[in-house]
Amino acid sequence: MITDLKKTPFYNTHVRLEARMVDFAGFSMPVQYDSIIKEHEAVRTEAGVFDVSHMGEFLLEGNDVIDFLQYIMINDLNLLEPSKGQYSCMCYENGTVVDDLVYYEEKPDRFRMIVNAGNIEKDFQWLNEHIGNKDVKITNLSSKRCRLAFQGPKSDEYLQPLVDIDLSLINRFYFAHCQLNGMSIFIARTGYTGERGFEISFDNEYAKKIWNLLIKTGASPAGLGARDSLRLEATYSLYGHEINDSITPIEAGLFWLVKPKEGIDYIGKKVLIKQKEAGTDRIIVGLNLLDRGVIREKFRIFKDGAEIGYVTSGGYSPTLKKTIGLGLIKKQHKEEGTELEIEVRNKFLKGVVVSTPFYRNV
Amino acid sequence: MEYEFPDELKYLQTHEWVRIEDNIATIGITDYAQHQLGDIVYIELPEIGTTLKKGDNVAEIESVKAVGELMMPLSGKIIEVNTGLADNPESVNSSPYGTGWMVKIEVNNKGEINDLLTVEAYKEIVEAEKK
Repeated sequence: MITDLKKTPFYNTHVRLEARMVDFAGFSMPVQYDSIIKEHEAVRTEAGVFDVSHMGEFLLEGNDVIDFLQYIMINDLNLLEPSKGQYSCMCYENGTVVDDLVYYEEKPDRFRMIVNAGNIEKDFQWLNEHIGNKDVKITNLSSKRCRLAFQGPKSDEYLQPLVDIDLSLINRFYFAHCQLNGMSIFIARTGYTGERGFEISFDNEYAKKIWNLLIKTGASPAGLGARDSLRLEATYSLYGHEINDSITPIEAGLFWLVKPKEGIDYIGKKVLIKQKEAGTDRIIVGLNLLDRGVIREKFRIFKDGAEIGYVTSGGYSPTLKKTIGLGLIKKQHKEEGTELEIEVRNKFLKGVVVSTPFYRNV
Repeated sequence: MEYEFPDELKYLQTHEWVRIEDNIATIGITDYAQHQLGDIVYIELPEIGTTLKKGDNVAEIESVKAVGELMMPLSGKIIEVNTGLADNPESVNSSPYGTGWMVKIEVNNKGEINDLLTVEAYKEIVEAEKK
């Protein structure tokens, strides 16, 4: 039996633009329209539009939503307020990661949550499993709404004429509901590229109209290939690479995400607070190559002949014009400047630990 | 998508092109291959003087998302490599038959030239792959 890939409402647009389509989390998604490097550079210099409709969107409603999320999430909702969003991980009891996500407080009893495409069913189940007696209802809006990311230094300038609110009043991580050419949208000043920009969500019926309006501003369509090279330069974790169900946020370098939350229990708290205090045996570090070549995920990392870890993400950085990567290695080698060897097929290339992020312009 | 395949070149079904002048063959990857690979960021070229056989892996081509291999279309000795590709790997994408050439070899078995594909035969292979 062959299962067809799922399509976002922008599928026909991608095909019309002759995008190279691939299977991503069961969806047919555009890797690139023209050139990953050109799309990457468009986002760094002007603006790009990404179809992220494959991602999940949940609505959480009820009087106990905040209590519920305080138990599920490692970040602290006391730092949140209406009109603001927060990035967090939700973890298993052993501290490893179920998913990383962003939730937005519309009202204390109404939250919007955006999750990774590959984890939609898993997350929905995880959340529902833990409601217990609490007054929380979760609705899965993933296939009912579209999501686009509009990112780049010119994103404010390009978007402002189309919306009926003053975008300069939305600070980073804050959001609003407004009209884009008369169509209702949710718009947040968040992103995964390391540039200024927005993420918007809206009903499926507006898909074509909104896409066309955004492209007419001068922004370029940008695919998953550029999305990956941009987030790698900005050093944002990608679920399945830097975080997964065998890596904890502390090991991934997200120690700031693990909050003390005095008097509030949350899943994974015991393990994570201990790791935050005592450190972990392994840690994610930034990598550059000293030899020429390209490093990619799963390549093994060695120090003086002994295997010390592996590459979690790697590739060419169009902004820095060299190969960059992230690796999960034994913590005794984490100092900047530590030289190591990375196995690339049948050779060993010399690499070095460097500080991160590689690039951000938010 | 219209690809360019110069008439005067010979081809391999593994998407290399060959330009033959006397017993010197210049080799690169076709317009179809560069498009499949995407943005090329690094090419590992062989040492000059290396002798290889037809079908041997002679260069590794890294793109943003993939790795491709250049195969020897003919047996011979590497006499020149395109050192310009170190700083401008993207010329393989923009000029696969011109400034994107990869290696020059001294052919040591001229009989093998007859096994190379004509442009028509290669075009048919590309059409079949596109389906």
